[in-house]
Amino acid sequence: MSVVTVQLGQCGNQVGHELFDVVCADAQDGQRKAYSTASCERFFHQTTHGDLVARAVLVDMEPKVINQSISRAAKSGRWRYGETSHFSQKQGSGNNWANGYCVHGPRHRDMVEELVRREVERCDRLAGLMAMMSVAGGTGSGVGTYVTQCLRDIYPSTFILNHLTWPYGTGEVIVQNYNSVLTLAHLYKLSDAIMVHENDTVHRICSQLLNIKHISFGDVNRVIAHQLGSVLQPALTADSHGVYSRNPLGELVSSLACHPEYKLLSVSTIPQMPSASIAYSTFSWPGLLKHLRQMLISNTKMEEGIDWQVRPTAGSERTSSLTAPSFNTSLANLLILRGKDVYSAETGAFEDPALYTSWLSSQEAFNLWKSPVPFNKYEKSATVVSNSQALLRPLDNIVGKAWNMFASRAYIHQYVKFGISEEDFLDSFTSLEQVISSYSQLC
Amino acid sequence: MRRSKAAVSVEVRQVIGALCRLLAATGLHAVPAPETFRRAKFGGGLEVEDQFWQLLTSILQSTGIVPCEAFNQLEGVSKHRKLVAAGLWQTGYHADWVSGGEGGEGGQGGRFSSRDLLLALGWLLATGTLEKLLTHRVQQMDNILLTPIPVNPQLSSELQLHSASLRKLQWLIGSLKYQGQILLSMQEERTRLLHAVLFAILQTSVSSPDQSSTVLREECVCVQQLCDLLEAYLNWKQVENVFWTWMDSVVDCHLTDPVVEKPTHAPNGITRVCHHGNRGLEKFEDMILRLPRGQKGQRRGRGDAEDRGERGERLQGGSDTSSLPPLLSSLPSLPTLPQVYRAKLQTEKPIKRGFRPAEVPHSWPETPDELPSSQATQLLLHAEALLLERRDRQRLANRIQLQEMVGKLDELVLIPP
Repeated sequence: MSVVTVQLGQCGNQVGHELFDVVCADAQDGQRKAYSTASCERFFHQTTHGDLVARAVLVDMEPKVINQSISRAAKSGRWRYGETSHFSQKQGSGNNWANGYCVHGPRHRDMVEELVRREVERCDRLAGLMAMMSVAGGTGSGVGTYVTQCLRDIYPSTFILNHLTWPYGTGEVIVQNYNSVLTLAHLYKLSDAIMVHENDTVHRICSQLLNIKHISFGDVNRVIAHQLGSVLQPALTADSHGVYSRNPLGELVSSLACHPEYKLLSVSTIPQMPSASIAYSTFSWPGLLKHLRQMLISNTKMEEGIDWQVRPTAGSERTSSLTAPSFNTSLANLLILRGKDVYSAETGAFEDPALYTSWLSSQEAFNLWKSPVPFNKYEKSATVVSNSQALLRPLDNIVGKAWNMFASRAYIHQYVKFGISEEDFLDSFTSLEQVISSYSQLC
Repeated sequence: MRRSKAAVSVEVRQVIGALCRLLAATGLHAVPAPETFRRAKFGGGLEVEDQFWQLLTSILQSTGIVPCEAFNQLEGVSKHRKLVAAGLWQTGYHADWVSGGEGGEGGQGGRFSSRDLLLALGWLLATGTLEKLLTHRVQQMDNILLTPIPVNPQLSSELQLHSASLRKLQWLIGSLKYQGQILLSMQEERTRLLHAVLFAILQTSVSSPDQSSTVLREECVCVQQLCDLLEAYLNWKQVENVFWTWMDSVVDCHLTDPVVEKPTHAPNGITRVCHHGNRGLEKFEDMILRLPRGQKGQRRGRGDAEDRGERGERLQGGSDTSSLPPLLSSLPSLPTLPQVYRAKLQTEKPIKRGFRPAEVPHSWPETPDELPSSQATQLLLHAEALLLERRDRQRLANRIQLQEMVGKLDELVLIPP
């Protein structure tokens, strides 16, 4: 079963391109045949000449990034994008969500829907749709939200996963918080699950773990792609009866995001190191899992700087506070292990009921996928996709900053002129406050 | 936009046709025609009843709820019907005619008709019998594909009502919805693959003659049947809603049916015990006791509480002044209690038409406890008006109290956590 990816805006197109790169390289890396076949079927369509064509639709309101992505893919020689699978305009969205959502989206709806439909029809069986975008700009966020809405209308019973990149807190775009709030509030109603990567976090991974001196967006995108790839590549699940699961998005969503108020998913991967060092490192499952578990409960996304003092506490003692550092309660977790000796890995520590909220048993809350095939050159790697309080503070920061700007109505006229009213803003704030409240009370 | 009745009935017939095709494709014998369903809704007579008896028998046999040997060992139509009733009881269908000893022959005075059998069929469909039949048939015919994933929602038996359980319920609902989506998509994929296999078989069988062709032809037929079955199921799933809307109308018909004849027991003497014991009744009585009463009421008789809306229910109430409980037919839910009357639920078994000569129906005994329905209606309307007035007064009092409280709170300073 295949996943069709819709890459939206500059960030979506860049991250998407890196993802296909990682996945293709991993699949063709002398791996076992079943794994390669499953991975290729999932992400690529094979032409009669044997070329791998990505199952992707590229959408942007400017042509530059799309053209770059397409030519880089073609140059790689291993895979390429479809010749007609892209749509771009000349003008951009000016970092204005309203411009993307109210103007560009509806104007180009038919074209984009047609492109997606063509990709979907090329799949023997559709596992689901993944929309990739950032929330800071205008196209990814505004057009992306509109496109997600259209896809939800056309494919009401298909799984839709949104992958979002949250901007640097210090701000790339002055109205990024407005754009973020509007995007999140709308997507919460449309999407089955929202997987988030934060630029700040990934940047720290690049500098502290990967020792990259001058970090570019390319580096950040490659880390995101590595983490996404480790989630989406084929794996053996509890329901897949000994073959690679054919329903990755459905199983992901139904393990983690069954409750309509809890849809935010964060990703942590271990190990992450410069590729030059990988050959000289040995890993053990107990070590990896111990670190990953502590990363989860102390809400650190890296294996450096883990706070080992944070311990699971009994439910009654937990304080739900946004200011004091506290234990990160999970609603549900999905642990994905890839590599050698994966069947001997002991994951009991992740099933500890103390990690989870009281109203969901740890059997229901914890899910495990395994693959005996090493991923992306790491002999052993473990990823946890978590529906937990990990994103609570960043979300609260975004909403707080947006609200401060909104209180003085700064830049609101830019949105109003394209059709988003103050009422829409207030509705979005209300929805997100509800989400924040739900996550705060998770204990 | 209202569609014409004709259009609606045509649609219903088509939907029932889809159901019949699906039932036939699962290998059931004796599937009635869509027209028979329509006649059953209005009580179609012995011939219609027979057809539905046979259908229910076939379903219960195919799903293994009642083993075929049981039918073989017992002879006689009435015994077979008792077996069917027992089978329905096993599935959780506890209508009167099922739990009554005679199993649908009118027994102790129920007014039994083909509609009851239709409702029993509805029950079986609602409890997943179709899916069981489908799985069974698919497993019979198809030995290459994997069995579907067993779904295990893990519902705990005791759900206390507080917010954590609510969240858990919401989680489970979401989980079930996703499972449904996954299963439906698997079915679609399976049908598609089967079509492809069938097509491939057909093509090769054209080119290679004779020896292997008989085997291939058999396989072909099998696969074709499988395809038809799965397609029939998918078609049914898409129109299922219309069927259930129609079943709603059957239930309505059933409930509004006026019971013409008096049941055999005197009203005070009906002591049918709910199969759950009288726990439901006791809870209900507690609720009634707790409700405020303007005047003291007096209990009149005892009755059993029946929760299922499929049976007609009667209300029996007592009062102190007039001492005349009204007898009302077919009110599925209890309205707010009147001040004057104490309402009780009582089950009646409707009498089947066509009594045996041995059981002479009683004439309607005029006990002093009874009121004709028109007077009863008036009394109830009056009671309703009184209750509404009392409710409004209470609301006003609440509002005043709330305002006073808010006034006091104005002076409080709230410190956020």
